Amino acid sequence: MILELLAGNLIHGLLLGCVYGLSTMGLSLIFGVLKVINVGHGPFIMVGAFVTLAMVTIFGTAPPVAIPAALVVGMALGFAFFYTVMRRLIKAPEFTTLLVTFAIGILLQEVVKFTFGAEYRGYNWEVGKIILTITTIPMTKVYASIGSIIIALLLYLWFNKTRTGTAVRAVVEDSEGARVCGVNVDRIYALSFAIAIGLTVMSGVFLTMFIPVGINPYMGGVYTLKAFVIAVLGGLTSPYGAFFAGLIFGLIENGAYVLFAQIPGVAPFSLTVSLAFWMLFLLLLIKPTGLLGAK
Amino acid sequence: MKINIAKYYPLIPVYAVYLTMFLVGFFVPGLWQLVALLAFYCALGQSWNIFMGMTGYVDFGYVTFIALGTYGMALGITYFSQFAGLGIAIIFIGLLLALFLSTLSALLEAGIALRLRGAYFAIACIGINEGLRHLIEGAKIWGGSEGMLYWKELTEVFGTETAIQLTTLWADIAVFIIAVIAAFINVYYMRSKIGYALTAIREDEDAAKVMGINTTKYKTIAFLTSGWLGALVGAMAWGLKLTHVFPADVFVIHYTVECIVIVVLGGIGTLLGPLVGGLIYGLSKYWLAIILPGFQLLIFAPIIICIIIAFPEGVIGVVKRRVKGTRLERYIL
Repeated sequence: MILELLAGNLIHGLLLGCVYGLSTMGLSLIFGVLKVINVGHGPFIMVGAFVTLAMVTIFGTAPPVAIPAALVVGMALGFAFFYTVMRRLIKAPEFTTLLVTFAIGILLQEVVKFTFGAEYRGYNWEVGKIILTITTIPMTKVYASIGSIIIALLLYLWFNKTRTGTAVRAVVEDSEGARVCGVNVDRIYALSFAIAIGLTVMSGVFLTMFIPVGINPYMGGVYTLKAFVIAVLGGLTSPYGAFFAGLIFGLIENGAYVLFAQIPGVAPFSLTVSLAFWMLFLLLLIKPTGLLGAK
Repeated sequence: MKINIAKYYPLIPVYAVYLTMFLVGFFVPGLWQLVALLAFYCALGQSWNIFMGMTGYVDFGYVTFIALGTYGMALGITYFSQFAGLGIAIIFIGLLLALFLSTLSALLEAGIALRLRGAYFAIACIGINEGLRHLIEGAKIWGGSEGMLYWKELTEVFGTETAIQLTTLWADIAVFIIAVIAAFINVYYMRSKIGYALTAIREDEDAAKVMGINTTKYKTIAFLTSGWLGALVGAMAWGLKLTHVFPADVFVIHYTVECIVIVVLGGIGTLLGPLVGGLIYGLSKYWLAIILPGFQLLIFAPIIICIIIAFPEGVIGVVKRRVKGTRLERYIL
């Protein structure tokens, strides 16, 4: 019985893990290129959720149509914030970048709250479901995972097969060296920041396809924290590491939830969240370069 | 041993401001709450400055200490109120518990996080904060997410009159006292071997290590001191004053960010900075809440971004540069 439950939940975990992975790639990319932790990561995911909501409720489209819109919105936000703010903070001390990215997150939350209101919203998108013996999987979740994998693959191809992608990798490796070799490092900074924000906003679309309710301006915070755990798990600078770490995280989260639910007198949901962070410390203690880190 | 009094001169303007604040709050009716809020921000800023200002490490999970301090006070009042005859001692037991809990968490964090640098340190600190919060909620420790309410216990021990006085007057006075102590510790550290070691760590940790400075020891000292003061502020300003504690209210990273904003506004690593920053931040937050309720954050966020980009050294950083070489120099730190 419990094994069936566990297996069912692990399938959901694997599907959700793909979305988690995508949602963390942006964080890793920004850290890799700019050496900045984006503490305002979650609010960008929230922006993606609201883009979806706007497309579905105002224009009446299906949620996946929101993906290109999210990419456009995300990259526009990315370029805007880069050229107004982040450009000035590239070699700045840590507290300034942490504070500024946090303030950007708050700004996004407040602007969205001002435009859409603070209440919880949601939408409905029924496209059938897959019925297995152990669990039932809505097709929306399957689409969200497949979409995440496709985008991650596209990013992989862009990174490895194009000149610009190679330049980004060179900057991650050694920005001074890249500059010496004739890479326009400042342009790479701007482009990677915009792409990272675009990825994050897009992952917000997929997240709402997974959990189409509870969309509100403050939903991002919990995803910031999850993204931190996943990013460290994946080695912090590597976007693909982050993607696979997302899969692992989704599996652990969903598996642990089933096990904690068996213990009487506890709140399994909170314990699961807590477990994620104890995992983080253990990891930082044993192998700070991440499970999938190279060095 | 001769005590060099001159090195404590910078305390004069700080204590003058605190005294003025206290007198204004005490004698002008209706201003006590505002003054108490300002004192709370100044005390937090100064406590936070001891570690972050001097070492350059960004403890993004600082609110953990404040939260655990609150829990310490809550536990002291809730569990020790059953013992008759303890009286006022339960408040001190609460403070001791606050110190105890914050020491435990500081040592845990020092063990895990202080070995890390930069981004990893910040993430580890946030992680410890969230891990503790969800552990308390998940395992239903100390009431879990329902939190603890102990106004009843407080009135049973002290009677309603005294309890009201304790929560509305003495809790705030205690915050003032903590702020005064924090300022003293700031100067003491800055002008002693500890401060020099910490500055060396901030500038270049590897070089400091090579020069024979026990970096772990000094970092842990600063971290513990900063954590203790934070816990005391939490115990008094939240624990005793509000007489309730909920994990979702106290383990909130926003408060850490407020500390950073206060210190950065005033000037990182300076003595007067957290005080000036606390006053500016507290006053503007208070007025914005009156003029434009609900829009404070919308206005604050862009202002903070602009200030940090334009004046990363803060108000006192600028003032310090101005007074260099004048007679005022020895009073500004």
